[in-house]
Amino acid sequence: MSAATARRQLAAVFRKEVSQTVRDRRVMFLLVVAPLIQTVVFGFAVDFDVDRVDTVLVDHDGGEAGRLHARRLLADGTLRPAGRLAGVEEAQADLDGGRAAAALVLPPGFSADLAAGRPAVAQLLLDGGDPNRAAVAGAAASRYFGEVAEAEARRRLEARGRRDLPQAVLVPHVLYNPRLKTPPYIVPGIAGTLLVIVTTLVTAMGLAREREMGTLEQVMVTPIRPLWLLLGKLLPYLIVGCLDVLLLLGVGTWVFGVPLHGSPLVLGAVMLTYLTATLGIGLLISTVSQTQQQAFLGGFLFMMPSILLSGVMTPIAAMPAWLQHLTVLNPVRHFAEVMRAVLLRGAGLGDVWFQLACLATIGVGILWLAAVRFRRQLG
Amino acid sequence: MSAPAIQAVELSRRFGAFTAVDRVSFEVEQGEIFGYLGANGAGKSTTIRMLIGLLAPSGGRATVAGHDVATAPDAVKASIGYMSQKFSLYLDLPVSENLRFFGAAYGLEGKALAARTAELLERVGLTGQGEAITGELPGGLRQRLALASALLHRPPLVFLDEPTAGVDPVARRTFWSLIRELAAGGTTVFVTTHYLDEAEYCRRIGLMVDGKLVALDTPAGLKRTWVPDQVLVARGQGLARAAEALRRLPGVKAVSPFGAALHVRVDPARLDAARVAAALAAAGAVAPAVEATPASLEDVFLAAVDRGAGGVAP
Amino acid sequence: MTRQGLRRSLVRIGAMAGKEAIHVQRDPRTLALALVMPLVMLVLFGYGVSTDVDHTRLAVADEDGSEASRALVRAFGASQEFEVVTRRPPAAAEGLFRAGDAVAALVVPRGYQRELLQGRRAEVQLLLDGADAMVANQLLAKADAIVRQESRRLAGLELAALRPPVQVRLWTQYNPAGRSAFYMVPGISAFLLAITAVMLTALTIAGEWERGSMEQLFASPVGRLEIVLGKLLPYLALGLLELQLVVAFGAVAFDVPMRGPIWLLFLTGLLFLVGMLGQGLLISVLAKNQLVATQAGTLSAMLPAIILSGMIFPVENMPLPLQLLSRVIPARYLVHALRGILLKGSGVAELWPDLLALTLFAVAVVTLATRRFKRRVA
Repeated sequence: MSAATARRQLAAVFRKEVSQTVRDRRVMFLLVVAPLIQTVVFGFAVDFDVDRVDTVLVDHDGGEAGRLHARRLLADGTLRPAGRLAGVEEAQADLDGGRAAAALVLPPGFSADLAAGRPAVAQLLLDGGDPNRAAVAGAAASRYFGEVAEAEARRRLEARGRRDLPQAVLVPHVLYNPRLKTPPYIVPGIAGTLLVIVTTLVTAMGLAREREMGTLEQVMVTPIRPLWLLLGKLLPYLIVGCLDVLLLLGVGTWVFGVPLHGSPLVLGAVMLTYLTATLGIGLLISTVSQTQQQAFLGGFLFMMPSILLSGVMTPIAAMPAWLQHLTVLNPVRHFAEVMRAVLLRGAGLGDVWFQLACLATIGVGILWLAAVRFRRQLG
Repeated sequence: MSAPAIQAVELSRRFGAFTAVDRVSFEVEQGEIFGYLGANGAGKSTTIRMLIGLLAPSGGRATVAGHDVATAPDAVKASIGYMSQKFSLYLDLPVSENLRFFGAAYGLEGKALAARTAELLERVGLTGQGEAITGELPGGLRQRLALASALLHRPPLVFLDEPTAGVDPVARRTFWSLIRELAAGGTTVFVTTHYLDEAEYCRRIGLMVDGKLVALDTPAGLKRTWVPDQVLVARGQGLARAAEALRRLPGVKAVSPFGAALHVRVDPARLDAARVAAALAAAGAVAPAVEATPASLEDVFLAAVDRGAGGVAP
Repeated sequence: MTRQGLRRSLVRIGAMAGKEAIHVQRDPRTLALALVMPLVMLVLFGYGVSTDVDHTRLAVADEDGSEASRALVRAFGASQEFEVVTRRPPAAAEGLFRAGDAVAALVVPRGYQRELLQGRRAEVQLLLDGADAMVANQLLAKADAIVRQESRRLAGLELAALRPPVQVRLWTQYNPAGRSAFYMVPGISAFLLAITAVMLTALTIAGEWERGSMEQLFASPVGRLEIVLGKLLPYLALGLLELQLVVAFGAVAFDVPMRGPIWLLFLTGLLFLVGMLGQGLLISVLAKNQLVATQAGTLSAMLPAIILSGMIFPVENMPLPLQLLSRVIPARYLVHALRGILLKGSGVAELWPDLLALTLFAVAVVTLATRRFKRRVA
């Protein structure tokens, strides 16, 4: 087949796809505007920082030391005062009803014990329904009282004559996201997730739609080669996908302050390889689907685990080892990693070559597989 | 004599245990309008799909436009035009875009493509409909568009699978005049149809029953072979009741309902219209009127199917 | 409608539903989505999706080289959260972070031990890769705790740690082991039901519109509403089956309790499903083709179910506009109610606001969908 013929066939399919897509305003909306909206919502909604946990106070002690510590604990930001109650039963009721997530209980004699050098024990009741929140709130309380205990212990030792006690202190220095805000971490990953939803589903359903409507048969009677058909169907969405990435990056920077370090070339490379992979997967799914419904379900069944196991919402490092190895096959993971590395840390090609290589391999491999399957199906 | 446009030899196709096409052999000459009849599921569409290179044969071979369908399907595809049973152009695109896409698929481009598109639109009577959305066209116009699309690259041979299904009679006649024009211009037309009146337009007809080609001849030849008896048409009231009794009358070959009337095949040596009318009256029919009617392909069809179901051979 | 008419109507609906159910049963992917996916997700969430990081890669630069500094480094290495993978000077830290070879770098400056011996404050530096904010936060807390512990040991305060002058005891209710499955199962149920109900119905019905078979159905003597009901009923049943599956599996694999009344569980699920089915119907009527239906379904059902329902991310932390938006998302009420029923043993007394919200949504959506449906068909 001559190059000119190939170009002509590819161009014909490309032109037809574009014409069909552009005509349907709803599809355009969903492919371009919807991801933008979702990124904004996601960026604002997701905040891993646990703070302002509503805490009620049950003060059976009434002493000044107790009140002081309660006030300090509830002022540090992680816990937020949500009222004083008379007894533990009411506190329990509040926890049950969800009006509070924690309850600080000071037993009678707390302040007196502290002043007299006897062990003073306070209690914190936590709503374990959200274990992350409970852990963080508990840790905040433990740390506060730990500091108080240590300061008190030092004071007592010094009072007995031991002076100049050594103390080691940790000074943290956070690089790349000094205030440890969530959006810079989340938004690049979200972009990858939304792209999968848009691109994989669209190509998966595209070919299945032609099969369902009967147009595929007519196309297969023409001299158009299967490879150009697949590529021609893929290219428009590659372009839309790139457009989406740029728009999402724009939103990320403008609305959420995601930094833009790193080389645009590397960004371009990851964009293209990632989109090739996701579009290829969609095509592969469409070759094993007779109807659009099947294609959608196939795409969905692929999407859910790949989103959950991508490191976008929860870290890969937190997964069991065998699962971590499995995620090497997941293009979303590589995309999120490269985006974070380049945008936040200014990583270069040498730093992310592995992920790019994985993406390229997956993309080309899957496309090849899809083409082979497709050709085999044509009699 | 020039080489046949289509040559099928013992062509077969199996799907698992089911044989859809069973050792079919025939030849179609260039410039001929060749009709292919048969009930749904008889194997017509499967045969076409093998001939146009969409489906590989399980057995036998076929040559279309000089190319072997099994070894050179791409060459076959480039030489033929195809109009499928289910409308298969893009419903959401305007007419011109559909033609442009399929034209480009066949290698046409630029001015040549534009000129050919305009020419075809005029030929099929769709001038001025270029911007109409295909899905919004009425059925008859859509079929004409599909035909135009199949002719973009001037193929020497076109396959039309039930091209007039679901189209009104006037539109059907217009369509067939297009087909006849095509054939007059030298294009070979292989057409399947349900409408037996249309089949009369074909030069020769092949008849498929249960995957086998049971008959192949001109319409007149088929009638002579399959319905050698005289066919009478009986009209009146109460015919249904009388039909059963009529069947038992010696000399009656078959009695089939035809709308409100009855078609009666009789051995002309033993019965005539008057005798049949008398028999009907005796069996309870009211005012029966019986007269001779020329055999139609419908009768041929019924006879062939009948024979396939174990009926009486001609 | 007469009683006879009603009975006949029900029979027809039953027939339609039966036929639709057979379609569903024959389609392995739909069944996989409805019945296998819940289990897969539960497993993933139970084992794969967690926020606790262990063995994070730590680079160490011990510029002091003293016994005290070595002891500190050992303390870090001995912890579960850190794993010492390389020793490099501090300047190399950024390069390590960028390449992903380390997530944190501990720098013990020269003079550490001397400062300690002189009874002064000795500072230790920790460089952290802040790109991954969640992990960084955890590591920060843990590193801080390790250094404090070491600090106490040096000051001879270990004994004091055993009998601290003041301490706080933590009592975690409803989920003493802090298992995330408890938190996740209600959320996953909501998500799955939303998917099944909205997406599948939108897809199925939009598909029929697209193929033109819907119009054909309308030409038959079966009434329009009957057709729709018949088509939706199997997905209702599927959804309830899914709910049962998730709760049962959660109980068996993750010991998620079932402390509240079962009938309330299914009533809540039912109300939620009706609303979701209505939403699916509405989408299918507005969408006209399957591609649009799926994308619209994802936009309006799946993502709100994940983001705004409180399933993974707590709603209280979100900015006000999103909190208000969350109030319109039925998944929020389902998640809240399910958590109450499963974990806290709540009953109608506590959950009636959620039930009311779900009912209101269901009524509103079904009414809207029916009206637009009739208009489209008429």
